[in-house]
Amino acid sequence: MRDVIAFIEQHAGTPRRVSFELATAAKDLAAELGGKAHAVVVGKGASTLANTLKNYPIDVIHVAEDADADAYLVDPLVDYVESVAKATGPAVILVPYTMIGRDVGSRIAARLGGGLTADVTEVHVGGGRVVSVSPKLGGLTVTSCAFKNVDYGIVAVRPNTFAAREQSGAGEVVQLEKPATKSYPIKIEDDVVEAAGELGVEEASTVVSGGRGVGGPEPFTTILKDLADALGGAVGASRAAVDAGWVPHSHQVGQTGKTISPQLYIAVGISGAIQHKVGMRTAGTIVAINKDAGVPIGEFADLLVVGDLFQIVPELTKRVREAKAVPA
Amino acid sequence: MKIVVTVKLVPDTNADKRIDPATKRLVRTGVETVLNPFDEYAIEAALQLKEKLGGDTTVTIFSMAPETGKEIVRKALAMGADDAAMLSDAGLEGSDVWGTAYAMAQALKKVGFDLIVCGTQSTDAITGELPGALAEYLGVPGLTYLRKVDVDGTTVRGERETDNGYQKVVAELPALVSVTKSINEPRYPSLKGIMGAKKKTITTLSLAELALDRPVGSDGAKTEVLDLAAAPVRGKGRMVNASDGADGARIIVEFLREKKLL
Repeated sequence: MRDVIAFIEQHAGTPRRVSFELATAAKDLAAELGGKAHAVVVGKGASTLANTLKNYPIDVIHVAEDADADAYLVDPLVDYVESVAKATGPAVILVPYTMIGRDVGSRIAARLGGGLTADVTEVHVGGGRVVSVSPKLGGLTVTSCAFKNVDYGIVAVRPNTFAAREQSGAGEVVQLEKPATKSYPIKIEDDVVEAAGELGVEEASTVVSGGRGVGGPEPFTTILKDLADALGGAVGASRAAVDAGWVPHSHQVGQTGKTISPQLYIAVGISGAIQHKVGMRTAGTIVAINKDAGVPIGEFADLLVVGDLFQIVPELTKRVREAKAVPA
Repeated sequence: MKIVVTVKLVPDTNADKRIDPATKRLVRTGVETVLNPFDEYAIEAALQLKEKLGGDTTVTIFSMAPETGKEIVRKALAMGADDAAMLSDAGLEGSDVWGTAYAMAQALKKVGFDLIVCGTQSTDAITGELPGALAEYLGVPGLTYLRKVDVDGTTVRGERETDNGYQKVVAELPALVSVTKSINEPRYPSLKGIMGAKKKTITTLSLAELALDRPVGSDGAKTEVLDLAAAPVRGKGRMVNASDGADGARIIVEFLREKKLL
């Protein structure tokens, strides 16, 4: 009987969507292993978030309302996850494959000597072992990995790959004790929010991305943003648009940006070079809008509409709003 | 101050990579090896710090790679680094993230450093887990995903990217930082740099010179590949010409409805 731990990433009391995906995946995996699903929630707002987590199939919710987690980078989170891991002896610790999740996962793996699999899009038990499936080599191959020389591992899960399921579990809340007094090395002096309430491209189920064909910074905050908002999604960008300084790097999709798996990816004025393709080829559905019928994205998009993006995108936004009956 | 930049050698993304259906392994023949593109930002960040700090500040390139990778390490030296150290040993083959980080940490302790600068990830493995694991094994602060970095005396500070903004972070040296591509525009090696790099020292370390207390390479790996399959190929879909904006919008809306996405 082996347990599964899900690290719940949150920022100032706001959980990331992937946290609920992990909570669900933890329970499903724990059921296969005959163990319990645990969640670890740390930082300001953790107690409130613990209540929300009761709507998801978690057996034990470990909570630490510790301001140090917001004042110091990553180390406090690692300490709390470590303490829960030591107390429960899990088979798997699930972390999101995000900036914070990668840091927590890699440090726990190094500290406890556990195995580590990254950018995982499927996890199951096969032949009594936990198997992680992840795309490699820019999505060219799919590898299945198991842990060896160690009986547990850390699995970093790509956001948007598991569906979150609202279903109450035992939801037992346990307050975590603050680890023995120690000084944390990296102080967060200021936390600056530049784009409040915006969903990141990694987590959005719909991403509307712009490339060179968009021609400048302005459409990213007007016509592309309007379409993304109408679809309840996020605005992404190709490397060309980021390198031109039109959009911040955090929006970049592709080899030197983010690798994402939204349900719907709309590529606007993006030619679809290999460097871009590796970042979005696992999207559910790909729609491209381009003035050139011969662009590489036409080779792998589910639909390529050839036409003027400046005419099509605003019309599309209008129609989507009508379809969803969302007032403009 | 001694700055060490970790670099990785990776297969060129533009190369036509394929999987041998019989062995299920990557066909490496004819695939060119290049410097991991993310690491160029790390080299540039280190060089800019050296230029700013002046004095006795040096930049050392560090790579865990076979000795055949020397020529690529030389490209990093051509950008302006002072010297390089490589950890090359057949016993490292088959190392996973865990073994790689552990062996690299022991080698980096031997090389010595005040500040380690890493790229955020590699373009081949893309686990993005190395900087964190390295910091943990080295027992130094790990300031990751920085879009700005500065050193003042014994303090390192930077701006760490978040999904909706950034955090100002600060720690004491020695430390490790990883930098994102928004931090700078990497320079091209000058002709003088390329010529000069030929004379720069590349030290080679082997596992025997490190005090390892656990197995690395495939023996020590904590993960094993059970299966490697070609990913399903994304086929060519429909292509439709839109007569105007409304027509294009209509085509897309119909398509999204068909896919139950609207």
